[in-house]
Amino acid sequence: MLGIYKVGLIIAVGLTLLYAFQGFYPDFIYVFSNAFPPVIAGAAVVTSGLSLERYWRRAKGPFSTVWFYFTLGLFLWFIGEAIWAGYTLILGVELPYPSIADAFWISGYIPFFIGLYVYVKLFSHALTKKAVAITMLVAAALTILVSVALLTPVLKAEEDLTTIVMDFAYPILDLALLSTALLGLIIFWKGKLRKSWLLINAAILMDVCADILFSYTTAKDLYYCGHMVDVLFDLAYLFFLMAFYVHTKEF
Amino acid sequence: MVTQKTEVLKKALAEAIDEGLLMLGESGRDVIYFRLKQSYALKREDVSSNPEIFVNCLREIFGSGAGVIERAVIKKLYDKLGIEFKEKKDFGFMEYLNEARKFLEEG
Repeated sequence: MLGIYKVGLIIAVGLTLLYAFQGFYPDFIYVFSNAFPPVIAGAAVVTSGLSLERYWRRAKGPFSTVWFYFTLGLFLWFIGEAIWAGYTLILGVELPYPSIADAFWISGYIPFFIGLYVYVKLFSHALTKKAVAITMLVAAALTILVSVALLTPVLKAEEDLTTIVMDFAYPILDLALLSTALLGLIIFWKGKLRKSWLLINAAILMDVCADILFSYTTAKDLYYCGHMVDVLFDLAYLFFLMAFYVHTKEF
Repeated sequence: MVTQKTEVLKKALAEAIDEGLLMLGESGRDVIYFRLKQSYALKREDVSSNPEIFVNCLREIFGSGAGVIERAVIKKLYDKLGIEFKEKKDFGFMEYLNEARKFLEEG
C-alpha cells in the first residue's frame, strides 16, 4: 500500500523538476507537455475503469454507479487531452484554446459531478447542517473571489465571448467539484476512506489552481505549451489515479 | 425463554445486517463481510453475535459515514421486530440494539 504513495511522490517530484528546469530543453518540454497529459489521463481512466469493473462484477449498486460516472468524466477529459495533443503535435496549432477539446473537458465535469454527488448523497445523513452550510459558504466565497480576480485580466484581454466564458467556466466548475468533494472528506475523515478522499480533494484543488492560472496566463498572453501551470494539470490526473487505486484497496 | 428471545434477536439482526448493508450494493456488502473475516476473524454467520465488532469495522472504514449504514441496519431490525423506529439524540447502534433487546424481554 505504501508503494503507491512512494511512486506517486517520485512522479510528482520528477514532473515538477522536469518543468522547473525546462530552460535547458525547451523543445523537449514542448513535446512532453502536450504528449504526457493524454498518457496520465489515460492511466487515470484505466484505474477508474478497474474500480468500476470491481464494483460492477457482482451486481449494480451505488458504488458501480459512482465509478461509472467517474470513469465517464475522466474518459471525456482524456479525449480532451488527446484532441489538444493532436492539435499541437500533429496540426501544429500553437494554442488550441478554445477548441473542440474544450467541449469534451467541459462535458466531463457533468458525469464527474454526478459521481461525487451520488457518493456524498449516500452518506449525507452523516453531515451536520453546520458542516454543509460552512462548506457552501466557503465555496461561494471562493467563486466570488476567483471571478473578481479574473474579471479585470480577462475583460482587458478583449477575447471573444467563447474564450471569456471558458476562462470563467473552468475555475467555477472546479469549485463546484471541490465543494462536493470537501463534504466527502468531512464524512470519511475518521475512516480509512479519508486517504482516498484527501487525494480526490488534492486532485481537484490542483485543477482549481491550474485552471485559474491558465485563464490568467492566456488572458495576459503569458501562456505557452510547457508553462509551469501544466504540471498542475498532470498532478491532478496523478492524484485522481492514486485516489481510485487507494479506494479500491481500502474498500 | 431468554435464550429463545436472544436467538430471535440474533436471527433478526443477522437478516437486518444483510439487508442494511445492501445500501452499499451487493459488492459493497461482500467487501464488508470480507473485511470482517480478514481483519477480525469474524465469519458472516457470527456477525450478529458480535455487533460491537461489526460497528468497529464500519467506523474504521467509513468514519462518520458509518452512522448512515448503522441506521439502515437498525431500521431494518426494528421493522422485523415490529418496533417503531424513533430517532433519539445521542443514541448509537448499540443503544438502539439494547433498546430492541429490552423490548423483546419485556414483550
